[in-house]
Amino acid sequence: MSSLVQIPPPPIKLSGLSIDQTRGIQAVWALIATEATLFACMFGAYYYLGTNKDRWATQEPPHLVYPFILLAILLSSSAVLHWGELQVQKERYRAGRIALWFTVLLGLSFLVLQGFEYASEWGELTPDTNSYGSIFYTITTLHAAHVIVGVLILMYVGFQPHYGFARRTPHMPYQVASRYWHFVDAVWIFVVLLLYVIPNIQRYYHVH
Amino acid sequence: MTEVAIESRLTELWETPKNIYGWFATVDHKELGIRYLVTAMVLLIVGGIEALLVRLQLVQSNMHLLSAEAYNQMFTLHGLTMIFWYASPILSGFAIFLIPLMIGARDMAFPRLNAFTYWTFLLSAIVLYVSPFFHQAPHAGWFAYVPYTLTAYSPGMGMDAYALALIFLGISTTGNAINFIVTILRLRAPGMAISRMPLFAYSTLTISFVVVFAMPALTAASIFLELDRHWGTHFFDIANGGSTLLWQQIFWFFGHPWVYVIFLPATGMISLIIPAFSRRPVVGYAYIAISTVLTGVVGYAVWLHHMFTVGLSDVAMSIFSAGSMMISVFTVIQVFAWLATVLKGRPVATTSMYFALASVMLLVVGGLSGVYTGIIPVDWQVHNTYYVIAHLHYVLVGANMFPVFAGFYFWLPKMTGRMMNEKLGKLSFWVMFIGFNLAFFPMHIVGMMGMQRRIYTYAAGLGFDSWNMVITIGAFILGLGILISIINFFYSLRHGAVAGPNPWNADGLEWLADSPPKPYNFAHIPVVASRHPLWDTYENIDDPENDRVLDGGRLTPTTTWLDAVPVGIATIPEDSIAPLAMSLLVFGLFMAFLFQAMWVVLAMLILSFAIGCMWMWPNTEKEVV
Repeated sequence: MSSLVQIPPPPIKLSGLSIDQTRGIQAVWALIATEATLFACMFGAYYYLGTNKDRWATQEPPHLVYPFILLAILLSSSAVLHWGELQVQKERYRAGRIALWFTVLLGLSFLVLQGFEYASEWGELTPDTNSYGSIFYTITTLHAAHVIVGVLILMYVGFQPHYGFARRTPHMPYQVASRYWHFVDAVWIFVVLLLYVIPNIQRYYHVH
Repeated sequence: MTEVAIESRLTELWETPKNIYGWFATVDHKELGIRYLVTAMVLLIVGGIEALLVRLQLVQSNMHLLSAEAYNQMFTLHGLTMIFWYASPILSGFAIFLIPLMIGARDMAFPRLNAFTYWTFLLSAIVLYVSPFFHQAPHAGWFAYVPYTLTAYSPGMGMDAYALALIFLGISTTGNAINFIVTILRLRAPGMAISRMPLFAYSTLTISFVVVFAMPALTAASIFLELDRHWGTHFFDIANGGSTLLWQQIFWFFGHPWVYVIFLPATGMISLIIPAFSRRPVVGYAYIAISTVLTGVVGYAVWLHHMFTVGLSDVAMSIFSAGSMMISVFTVIQVFAWLATVLKGRPVATTSMYFALASVMLLVVGGLSGVYTGIIPVDWQVHNTYYVIAHLHYVLVGANMFPVFAGFYFWLPKMTGRMMNEKLGKLSFWVMFIGFNLAFFPMHIVGMMGMQRRIYTYAAGLGFDSWNMVITIGAFILGLGILISIINFFYSLRHGAVAGPNPWNADGLEWLADSPPKPYNFAHIPVVASRHPLWDTYENIDDPENDRVLDGGRLTPTTTWLDAVPVGIATIPEDSIAPLAMSLLVFGLFMAFLFQAMWVVLAMLILSFAIGCMWMWPNTEKEVV
């Protein structure tokens, strides 16, 4: 079978190459893809349950104040963490670590405030009120669970001894954790838009 | 350094200690791949015994071997075991063993994740199989339609075991898929551009992406089911604004892509076996690769054909009917490429080739009945009859089990170092082939006659009796054929001829390694210059300066995903007990959910976070010189 086309690749010395650090980030992108699909399924269920029913628009929609405060918290936390990542890239590890712990604080304050938000909704709507309550609390609680996981991951990275390149830590934990945290924040943008803002707009047009 | 010195240095770096700790802590992809295969085969036997019990109950009219409830549990366990715990894991087992060898790497990209997915797969099967011991196995079929599966109609732990075991298995499958994606895209040998990848790697890569985007739907559906059953929500409760169709939509959005997950890697195996025994490169490599990827993509646009009878809009049904028929085009392209390969080659009649060719034939039969059932009026006629059972078994057995046996006869010499016995193999093939057709072809007929699936018995005088007798006899013959192959395996393990690195004179890189492969797979990382590295004249492991030995730790090169130009060196972690500990904790978590012990759930969550930190803590790699 010597008639096969064969093109030898350019000779590259393997011994001159550095340690690969990108596989961890590639894996976390795949994880984000599958998690995003999970949320997409949840949003799909939200709209599927709401199809052909007035209930989604006519029922009292969730209040708008808390989710926007929560959104501001998460977006600023993402900004802080991104700034920290840039500091780590510039080898200013101390600043990076401070930014990371500040993000943890913002994440925790998000969880506390969401507790207040639940308390304000709970009087009118609980998971067993109807299918709307079920999907509303399922999506927001699922997101809160992701925030908890994100905070735990960040705290774990916060305790790690060093962030610089080390042959022993090839997966760049700071960058991996920040990708996941940005994803959790991005999901909240969709939650605010689909579960809070649009129902309020629909309500507005329904009333007027 | 001499070759001997290189090999002893690499063995020292890569070998798992042969003691109890090493057995539980190993992250070697070859060891884990074999464990996947063995576990999945055991589950195949378990599912097969359940099928035989179902067939004994149906052997004649008005039988009462099993009660109606026991029958429901039996066919549900059979379906679940075969579809989730055999068909997909067995292909993962082949892929875990073979993919690093085929692409010239020394291990998977995340070996500890690999160990974790094995243990979770094993333990999720236990979550499912706890319930039969309480006589409360799941009993609503593998797609578990609501409202029958809600607590009002299905009390007891059966449906909880279903939902929890599937979420648990979903963790395992998703972890596996992510591992395959990074491994196949980043760890290929230098020169193995994406246009030179083995077709099995193509199909595994495709299904890994399919799993990433389909598995969450099953998780969401299972979460909804559990919440409705125990937490007072109303997702499926029509009286409170829920929808029973929500379950079907989400389940089948997952369910149909899943069919391709358990089908495509098997076609990838056929695409390697048929050319190897036709003694020529596969015809239409690019077309097969493109069809594989397109099958995975279009597989998302066909799920509604499971729901043609629930009263959906005509437009939706027409679109999905067209999608269902379109997807057959991609399979037909592959079938013709295989046939052309055989016709233009010089075929060799081995057991493996027998199984591969038979699977093509059975796949065509199953595919044709699939095209029929994709036509809406035909589907209305045959829905929920044995015609559908015949179709799905022709596709799943024809395109999963027969290729798997072809794969066993082809690659077991690589795994064990011993050739399988050809005489016993061919005997097993003929018994299986005859038994299979005897068991499943008559189902087309009784299905057209109106015999319904999932009914535990039937009245006399409907004309079903003699056909069902034939079907049951066929099922036992099929089981006998599988038994002969298992006996062959144990016989050949001791008495088989020594295989040597490349007994079939095949083309893939896996045949460059020893049989069984060394712990480090390749002493020198191979370089690839064509699609058929062992059939061209290029010397893959020619490395006079020992540049590609990489003995400064557990190392393997990373390359660019498209052209496979080396860009870095990946460090591979050492053996660790953490994956097993983590899976045991997650197992405890799901068992606690199953038995409603919420404090245990909380404890398991905290403990698994602690173990996760230990797992990831960066101090476990051998120090580099």
